[in-house]
Amino acid sequence: MERDDAWHMTDDLMVEDGKGDPFAAAIRATRMPMIVTDPRRDDNPIVFVNDAFLRLSGYERAEVMGRNCRFLQGPDTDPNAIAQLRDAVSARRDIALDIQNYRKDGSPFWNALYMSPVFTKAGDLHYFFASQLDVTDRVDAQARTQNEKEHFEREVAKRTRELSEALAAKTMLVHEVDHRVKNNLQMVASLLSMQTRSIVDPSARDAMKSMLTRVEALGTVHKRLYQSNDVERFDVAEFARELATDLVRGSGRTGISLHLDLEPVEVPVEKAPPVALMMNELITNALKHAFPDNRPGRLSVTVQPDGRYFGIKILDDGVGMPQEIVGARSFGKRLIESLARQLNASIAWQPGKPGTLIDIRLPRDSAAGKDMASGTDSATGKDGP
Amino acid sequence: MSEPLRVLIAEDEALILMQLEFLVEDAGHRVVGSAATAEEAIRVARETRPDIVFVDLQLRGGSSGIDIVRALRGERAMTLIFLTANAQHIAPDFEGAAGVIAKPFTEAVISDTMSYLAECVYRPPPGRPVPLGLQLAPAHPVAS
Repeated sequence: MERDDAWHMTDDLMVEDGKGDPFAAAIRATRMPMIVTDPRRDDNPIVFVNDAFLRLSGYERAEVMGRNCRFLQGPDTDPNAIAQLRDAVSARRDIALDIQNYRKDGSPFWNALYMSPVFTKAGDLHYFFASQLDVTDRVDAQARTQNEKEHFEREVAKRTRELSEALAAKTMLVHEVDHRVKNNLQMVASLLSMQTRSIVDPSARDAMKSMLTRVEALGTVHKRLYQSNDVERFDVAEFARELATDLVRGSGRTGISLHLDLEPVEVPVEKAPPVALMMNELITNALKHAFPDNRPGRLSVTVQPDGRYFGIKILDDGVGMPQEIVGARSFGKRLIESLARQLNASIAWQPGKPGTLIDIRLPRDSAAGKDMASGTDSATGKDGP
Repeated sequence: MSEPLRVLIAEDEALILMQLEFLVEDAGHRVVGSAATAEEAIRVARETRPDIVFVDLQLRGGSSGIDIVRALRGERAMTLIFLTANAQHIAPDFEGAAGVIAKPFTEAVISDTMSYLAECVYRPPPGRPVPLGLQLAPAHPVAS
């Protein structure tokens, strides 16, 4: 008959366990696979296995009792893990590690192994206790996650490289096209300039010279576009300064003083060429007609923001626009009207007392232009981009 | 009228070179040579000793105007001016050049620049303002 307090003594491994030992019963019945080996015997054989271990490994109790645990190892078991286990056994310390093990039928499973030495009170090593847990799902999931992570990292790195290369190629292309555009505009100007020199007829020469200034105005637009950091916005005021200065200088007229009253006005880049050409026509006109017979004078150019609109004013103190010029259907005049339609601009020609004031008001953004255009667009009909 | 300035033009586009020759002569100065490559420009510059060298950045056969400026920036009484559609690719110190004219240029800018340079060379310091289209180097060797 067992003593009533036998379970108190289960800490003491020297006590024979019995049916009444609740700890032994728990170990036998638990779902956690467990084994005990005896390092005092040759090759540290298994001396106890519970049913959960037999279910996990697929072996019969008789097939494993008395054997060393290494039968659980197989072809894909990590030699480093085996070495770590061996070291722990010989150093008589506990160890926890994930190791690839094999069932009796050869199927692999990931074993979260915990193994610890069991010492007597006197400090003698009597047993190793080991618990196993099938963590195949967890390890596989980790491996899958790791694989996916590496896969994505590789894909991201590859995509980043492709995008950097594409960006570099695009940047180079933009620079090349920019250079070509500017050089070609310069060549067009060169051709016009040289042809002008060979023309004797004054009116033909004038017309050619006008073409040159138009091409030069477009050239100045392109030059300014790529000088600024923002390639999508264009400052009308700074352009006006350069254009007006160039035109007054290019006219060869020394008696005309230029006054500039400029506040920054940025417009979308697509508006830059028509705005530039329109200003070029108006300033050229003033220089050509306002100051006949080399008379001196004052030309002022104003650029001012006005909410969603902005204003350009060109004022001369010359002889005033002769009626035949205002009413004429010259090419320059038609050009101004077309560009004004494209820009949804209103142009007023007023007496400047003395001279002429040209007052232009136009929407700053394309969106504002469309609002305003909804009424007028249908009338003019053909304002394309 | 002071003596005409002697000008060398390094430009590989024949049309632009022709126009520049006209403009320099119109302004009363003399073109003493032209070159389409950096090597040729350096050689001609040392032979003809121009007052002014206009330097395009991209020259024939992949040669670069920067090499011209680096080779000639130490030459005495020789003012180097970049004239290029790639103005944004020039280092902030202009590599030793006195200034940059961005292409496309207008005729007025070239003629103003010639007048300005003539004052720099013959009546320094120049009385007229720097032409809008001419950007001077930070070190401003023209006025010195």
